Amino acid sequence: MDLSQYAELFLAESREHLSACNQLLLDWERAPANAAPVGGLFRAVHTVKGMAATMGYARVTDLAHRTENLLDLLRRGSRPATDELLQLLFRARDALETAVELSVVGREDELDIAEVVADLEGAAALLAGPARPTGARAPATAPAAGPGRLVQVTLRAEAPLKGGRALLALKRAQGLGAVQGVTPPQAAFESDDFDGRFSFRIDSPAAAAEIERVVRGAGDVEHVSVAGEERRAAAPRATAAGGAAPEATPEKSRHIRVDLRRLDELMDLIGELVTARGRLNELAAARRDPAVDDVAIQISRLSADLQAGIIQARMTPVWQVFDRFPRLVRDLARELDKQVAFRVEGKEIELDRAILDELGDPLLHLLRNAVDHGIETPAERRRRGKQPEGEIVLAAVRERASVAISVSDDGRGIDRAAILARAQREGLVDPHAEALSDDQLLRVLARPGFSTADAVTSVSGRGVGIDVAVTRIRALGGSIDIRTEAGKGTSFVLRLPVTLAIVRALIAGVGRERYALPLTYVAETVEFGVQPTTIVEGREAIVLRDRVIPLVHLRRMLGVSGEAPARCPIIVLEMGERRSGIVVDGMLGQQEIVVKGFDPPRGTLPVFSGATIMGDGIPALILDAGGLV
Amino acid sequence: MSHSVLVCDDAIFMRTMISDILAQAGFEIVGEAETGSQAVQKYRELKPDLVTMDIVMPDMGGIDAVREIVKQDPDAKILMCSAMGQQALVVEAIQAGAKDFVVKPFQPSRVLEAVQRVLG
Repeated sequence: MDLSQYAELFLAESREHLSACNQLLLDWERAPANAAPVGGLFRAVHTVKGMAATMGYARVTDLAHRTENLLDLLRRGSRPATDELLQLLFRARDALETAVELSVVGREDELDIAEVVADLEGAAALLAGPARPTGARAPATAPAAGPGRLVQVTLRAEAPLKGGRALLALKRAQGLGAVQGVTPPQAAFESDDFDGRFSFRIDSPAAAAEIERVVRGAGDVEHVSVAGEERRAAAPRATAAGGAAPEATPEKSRHIRVDLRRLDELMDLIGELVTARGRLNELAAARRDPAVDDVAIQISRLSADLQAGIIQARMTPVWQVFDRFPRLVRDLARELDKQVAFRVEGKEIELDRAILDELGDPLLHLLRNAVDHGIETPAERRRRGKQPEGEIVLAAVRERASVAISVSDDGRGIDRAAILARAQREGLVDPHAEALSDDQLLRVLARPGFSTADAVTSVSGRGVGIDVAVTRIRALGGSIDIRTEAGKGTSFVLRLPVTLAIVRALIAGVGRERYALPLTYVAETVEFGVQPTTIVEGREAIVLRDRVIPLVHLRRMLGVSGEAPARCPIIVLEMGERRSGIVVDGMLGQQEIVVKGFDPPRGTLPVFSGATIMGDGIPALILDAGGLV
Repeated sequence: MSHSVLVCDDAIFMRTMISDILAQAGFEIVGEAETGSQAVQKYRELKPDLVTMDIVMPDMGGIDAVREIVKQDPDAKILMCSAMGQQALVVEAIQAGAKDFVVKPFQPSRVLEAVQRVLG
């Protein structure tokens, strides 16, 4: 049968099990005396073994088999895990992961599992103690004397699990009459050494041919002799399929896996549809024909449902990315001799797959920084009156139209004075500034190559990761905030739109152009010319409910000639704690826009995140809230 | 009339494969179970002609599920799905009342032979 169709399912399910193994091993490591995780580990590895064997991946099967053996011994002994054993199991899990990934792409040959296999065998041998006596190899040639006819059976050499097969044959024979004198004794059937030869006495009126037929019915029987009348196996194996039913019915399936590219294509098509719908609505409005209006409304509703359905199909829970971090944090902490309790919250929060895929690296950088620079050594923590074990929390929270993901540690915090001094030396901030705000701090840290770590460790140099994270998150239409307090810890908060492809936006007019502003970060709109303005830190601002909101005049920023109207709207953007008011000429309404990638020419102001096509077919630029706030 | 089958395995991969093999041979897959206790419950609801039963499953294992099902229906036709090296478990399952077994990796012809023997 063609196995390739199952490869993806195999890969997806193996990854899930191996990810679960990581979690179980971490649990076990936290409480070595509690052997509860070993059952789950055993089942997970066992499942991977069965699947790999079916796919014909010999090395995955072998590795899983040996890991399973060791786990089985641990399970039976209910032993506490020693550190050495746990490290070996972690290694074996990692090797299995590599083996699974390589096998699926046809590179199983590149695997070298000899070392880990040898270590697994060594550990298993130590646990098993002295080799068991192989007493089960009692030959079937000395059958017990007694009443009834002697039946001698030999199973096919290639038959798997001969003991089970032999027991099935005995059970069938019992249907014909009393069975006694089973040789070797039935207990030997449970041993792997059982060679498939056995005999018994049967007290039955049935003809020899009938007894043979019944025993053969157990399957995998090579040879049967009944009371001296020997019968050689003559018939070939039973015909393959046995003719269960003449016609194959179409197979049923309850779920399917879809290539992400298919969903991307669908999303593009929906995008085109949304654009066409906008155009239809405009034409319908111009026509003032009730029949056309009806159709336009219906199409709007249908395409909105379709769009919601596709977006929903793209949503993926964040645990798919978060699940690899507990292991990573643990490994880093060990490497750096730190004690870290790692907690994950909001695993079930969903994000568009395309966004989630981009989050792994930025989060990795932030977590590395937290372990390496945030959390102090246990000795240092004790000196500061803290628990020796530090804490890192990775949390996802759904906000209005965005998702906030935070990485927080209770470590030493970022040394603002050191950063300020360095930034002043490099001319990044006003030489007379006395302190850095959180925003300024982030801006400085996010400069490529900026690092305060005197000795950059192999794990991370503070700054290097942050510029990567900031760039990546901004490209996704999101933002990063930082909060840090000396001695108490640091927290990074990433805010991301829930989906990328289609967003609701405010359409604003400036001069003769239209601009789209995604609603994700729009807090409210107020009117300029009505609201009094003031000057704060040299910038024009308004005060709204006791908060100072600096203003950005889009007309001036974009260098549009002519005069702005005397009264015009201010769009208040909000990203976490930061706000700013964008002054535009006029508001042209709200609509769904399809975000198209955008490759800005050199020298373009860094305030655009993409482009879109409006209902009339004319393109408009999308303003990047992150660049304006 | 085609025979109805309940497929019990904790791996979707295995359930899909067994279902495909049996469906292509004309069997009707009437249900799937991921744990032993689900298997017992679904057997009661669906009364299938045949059950394929994995040995190692979370919650309640396959052998305990066989015991429970046979207690309710001594004629239940249960085919164990085992892996190499599970000799003792297979023996235990047969003593508990399983009618036959197949060994992973599955070959469709072996599975169908075993099914034929069970349905006799």
